[in-house]
Amino acid sequence: MNNNPVEATRCDLTQVIDALNNGIILIDSQGHVLLWNQWMTRHSGILAAQALNRHLTDVFSEPLPKSFVAAINRAQSTRLPVVLSNALHKFPLPLFNNGNTVERISQSIILSPLRQEQGEWHCLIQVTDSSTAIKREKMLREHSELHKKDATTDPLTGLFNRRFFDAQFATELLQAQRQNTTLSLMMLDIDYFKNYNDHYGHPAGDSAIIAVGNCIRNKLQRSSDLAARYGGEEFIVMMPNSTEAVAQKLAESIRQAVADLKIAHINSLIAGHLTISVGVSSYTPGKKADTVTFLKNTDLALYAAKQKGRNQVQFLPL
Amino acid sequence: MDNLTALHIDALSEVFNIGAGRAAASLSEIVSEEVKLSVPALEFRKCAEFNEKVLSLDQSQLGVVRQQFSGALNAEASLLFTEDSALEIMRDMMGSHISIEELAEFEQEAMCELGNIILNACLSAMSDMLNIQMESSLPSYTVCNAEQLIQDIIDTPDQEYIMILHIDLEIERRQVNGKLIFLFSSSSLSTLRIRIDAFLNNI
Repeated sequence: MNNNPVEATRCDLTQVIDALNNGIILIDSQGHVLLWNQWMTRHSGILAAQALNRHLTDVFSEPLPKSFVAAINRAQSTRLPVVLSNALHKFPLPLFNNGNTVERISQSIILSPLRQEQGEWHCLIQVTDSSTAIKREKMLREHSELHKKDATTDPLTGLFNRRFFDAQFATELLQAQRQNTTLSLMMLDIDYFKNYNDHYGHPAGDSAIIAVGNCIRNKLQRSSDLAARYGGEEFIVMMPNSTEAVAQKLAESIRQAVADLKIAHINSLIAGHLTISVGVSSYTPGKKADTVTFLKNTDLALYAAKQKGRNQVQFLPL
Repeated sequence: MDNLTALHIDALSEVFNIGAGRAAASLSEIVSEEVKLSVPALEFRKCAEFNEKVLSLDQSQLGVVRQQFSGALNAEASLLFTEDSALEIMRDMMGSHISIEELAEFEQEAMCELGNIILNACLSAMSDMLNIQMESSLPSYTVCNAEQLIQDIIDTPDQEYIMILHIDLEIERRQVNGKLIFLFSSSSLSTLRIRIDAFLNNI
């Protein structure tokens, strides 16, 4: 039984240091290893007995990076603590997990000069495995990107959702007004969709919406064009820098593509297959319009297409 | 300044420029690019006189690396960059190693390293040339606004004096300005004055 509290503490400290989930190396002012904990042995494959009393630069089978050696020299000469961040020094020491000898552990290292009773200075090297933190950060970032995508996308069609469209539309209209450019809009609606749903059921209705969404997506040619699902069976497309002629041509090609799918629709009152009606409107420089009037006008164009017999494109100037 | 003469300030400027030179050498080694660092101006004030004008940083959001120094002198040192320039520096330093999306997660630790190099170099130049032995805490990084920082400084008990170093940092032809501020108690300031006098007498 050890009654000396100092001795007792010392004995415990060795155990504590070995149990730490960090790499601990202590070197003297000449760079000789005085302490090498079990974490270091586990991840370097070098036993304490092999490391002790040797110069740190000779302990590993490869030369240590210049920046690491410079940092140790700096810590020893200034006697101030030094931080080696993972961002600027990914893997300074050859440390590995579970016998893997290819993929090094990501490391963050802290060097702390320690003054000894005899006035000599030692340097404590603490190595932290930062791969968990990096993985966690990566996962959080992926999640946040996913949420961002969810917040802007319509899950059924994969097109943008109405919320995203509204925000982009406001920005684009302002930009068109500032830069004196054209901005065209089209609204598309599946003809007699209620009849389709009633007859073929909701799952088939969903498939029809997806099919129309794909037709729209496939026909868009510019990366600046933006398509969104605007309501149940209603879609909207915004085309910056597109004249009314170009917009109408695109609308017609989408209408044709949907008709060409020949999706059976026996309760359509105008054709035996699925069709759409499209309304187009354009903002041209000099016109006065806000988002509400522009949208309303495009909706009126769509209404006109419906009134005139459906399965067609109608244009209404702003 | 009621306590330090122009001569004292000149001597300190020289000391810190030597420190800045050492820091630049260390930083250049890490980023494998030439890094230039200088301290073009230094001023002393009473903490009570400290305000945003004195700091003359044009952005209110600051990235701050702090270390506490103790020993012959007790001082709190804070290295300040505007948050934007802190990000620019990191982007330049890590340019070849890291993508911009990855930057945020490492920014904190990397800023600690950058600040640590600059703070230690300035402090060790002081230790060496003015014979002031000091120990230091590990660096910490925080983002805060200028107003809050100034209020904290004014409210810090027993730290009556503030030394402001204007720092010019240049990495890959990009010029960034920062500030290094030290908070001193009046007893630490008189120690500093005595050591500078001794240094001047030895020249």
